[in-house]
Amino acid sequence: MSKRRRDRSDSDLPPKRIRTVDLRSVDRLSGLSNELLLHILSFLSVSSLNICQRLSHRFHALGGDSELWKRQYYSQWVQPRARRLANSKRTTLPARADYSPRVANWFDHGHLEHEGNWKRQYRLRHNWSRGLCRVTEVEFPEPPCPPTLVRFCAGIVFTVDSACGLRAWTANDPASCLASVSLSTRPNSPVNPTALAVSQSYGNIVISVGTENGHLSLFLLDPQTSKLALQSSYAACNGAITAMAMSTSYLLVVSQYTNLILYDMHHGSHQKWQYSGAATPRQLASLKADNILAPMTLSLRVSQSDIIATVVYSFFHIGCGWSIGIQELRLNKDGQQLDSRLATTVDSQYGVRPSRGSQPSKRHSAEPGQSQSTPGAPFILHQQPPTSLSYSHPYLLTSHADNTLTMYLVVSTADDLFVQGGRRLWGHTSSVSAVQVTKRGKAVSVSSRGDEIRIWELETAISSLGTRKAPKEEHGIQLSAGSKHEPAPALPRTLSESLNSKSQETSPLSIMQDCVGFDEERVLLLREKGVGTQLLECYDFT
Amino acid sequence: MSSITLTSSDGIEMSVDRTTAERSVLIKNMLDDLGDSGDAVPLPNVNEAVLKKVIEWCEHHKNDPPSASDDDDNRRKTTDIDEWDQKFMQVDQEMLFEIILAANYLDIKALLDVGCKTVANMIKGKSPEEIRKTFNIQNDFTPEEEDQIRRENEWAEDR
Repeated sequence: MSKRRRDRSDSDLPPKRIRTVDLRSVDRLSGLSNELLLHILSFLSVSSLNICQRLSHRFHALGGDSELWKRQYYSQWVQPRARRLANSKRTTLPARADYSPRVANWFDHGHLEHEGNWKRQYRLRHNWSRGLCRVTEVEFPEPPCPPTLVRFCAGIVFTVDSACGLRAWTANDPASCLASVSLSTRPNSPVNPTALAVSQSYGNIVISVGTENGHLSLFLLDPQTSKLALQSSYAACNGAITAMAMSTSYLLVVSQYTNLILYDMHHGSHQKWQYSGAATPRQLASLKADNILAPMTLSLRVSQSDIIATVVYSFFHIGCGWSIGIQELRLNKDGQQLDSRLATTVDSQYGVRPSRGSQPSKRHSAEPGQSQSTPGAPFILHQQPPTSLSYSHPYLLTSHADNTLTMYLVVSTADDLFVQGGRRLWGHTSSVSAVQVTKRGKAVSVSSRGDEIRIWELETAISSLGTRKAPKEEHGIQLSAGSKHEPAPALPRTLSESLNSKSQETSPLSIMQDCVGFDEERVLLLREKGVGTQLLECYDFT
Repeated sequence: MSSITLTSSDGIEMSVDRTTAERSVLIKNMLDDLGDSGDAVPLPNVNEAVLKKVIEWCEHHKNDPPSASDDDDNRRKTTDIDEWDQKFMQVDQEMLFEIILAANYLDIKALLDVGCKTVANMIKGKSPEEIRKTFNIQNDFTPEEEDQIRRENEWAEDR
């Protein structure tokens, strides 16, 4: 009886009475050193670790130990990948696939090596894998025409439209505008932005805005001071700028689908950007094309010695339907064209995998005898042009009106360029209108009304390409929104549910393009809501 | 087979096989330093009852192959304990923690792991309140703090 009472008082308030030595009430566990407690905790699962953090202040600190979580992260996300790699190459596991606090083979997770908070990383990865996130919404009252363009870089959201100019928002608090700057220099002469590209460069963020009348404006944002200023502005070409790609100090521009121009924005000086010096970007190269069909996308890779500019476009191939062409231009740093190569997805649409190392001419003739199944009908046939393209080497993704995405892998070596794979990604239940992919194979796709968002991990799909076996997780993960920016925990509901209620008022014709952005922690989506408003939604996975 | 003498913290001398005693890295190093003088090895941090228990464990495991490396990850994946060790660890909490401390002090890695796994198994699958009760841990959170931490850690539950 008396014992029971003491137990209860233990849990809320310590009794005033000094507890004399009762052997059963001594906290022996907490008597251990931190080192030993960490050793015990290292045998626990993630969920038990989280429970332990709720025991006391000391356990809260110990259970959040970064080294513990690093180990968990490694065994949960890195090691399985190592095993998959070993399987696909039919080799034995690399010797150092085991975790060790000092040296570990990180298998493309090297970017995390200097991570300080592993619990946070683990949770982030966990939430991505389940599609768990918080949603914040910002409304834009009068939707401008042409529609607002959105880009996302280093945790900052950039929007540009003719009425409000260029604006920057932090993704942590999308309700407040960080900085804004008008596009037009003279009043009453509205400028219609048609392309937006953002990139990080020497601690600053460079924003380039292309307009309908062929003007190119470069802005600079200092993330520390939130100072946003115009760097330079000039007429780049005739006709609207339709696509741009940026990579630290190079800018690739396409105007009216036919003019391709490469700029060096930084003149080779490796110093911090300066606001005062109105350095006009130097035009490195300009190329003309007779026609490039939309949709198209640009990509720019800069290596030690050269610049690789890639134009990815869609075209119609008789017998094969809509296909993707890739032109890769290799230029040196002075803008001299060194090389130009072409590859298409036609081969891979037939299921023919070009054999490595063969002569390019041979490959293109696609001898039927080379492949096991003589291609009668294409493996993948698209009757309609893709709704959007996204290329981030080596991943190439296209979205289609038939509720699917198609994934290709671009192989670019010193002497060969070809497209591998070709796999449909299923999961969407309505027409897919936009897709974005990053270098590490994370992709986000949006359906045309913005009521369905799916995230994809393509790394796994790629490693199984060689075996042609369907990966287990064929379906992307649909986002489900957790609490909606109010501090009290709301019941988790799936995104589609929460959006379906609104989508009735959405005009069925509103098409989404240039509206998705995401980084390691968040997905951003700009969608139209009814007539007269646009909604910026931020899905936060932290 | 040569035998050596260990002295516990309460002054009791015990005679043990050298190979058994050398499961402890501490004792092994001390013996290497002392040479074959035949002196008793003093263990001022371990009392007789615990030392007996530890020797019992070493006796049973004296022919185990040495563990592969310091950072083998496999042993962490599972909290499975072999049957004999499970029985061996069926002791009261006081003894359990004494064994852990002794294994740590004597540097017997495998025994330390068994002890820690036993404690980990006592934590697994329990609610925070149950764990606190098991080990008499003082909850030093305010209700608000507790609520906040509960919410912070919700993401990994129900697995």
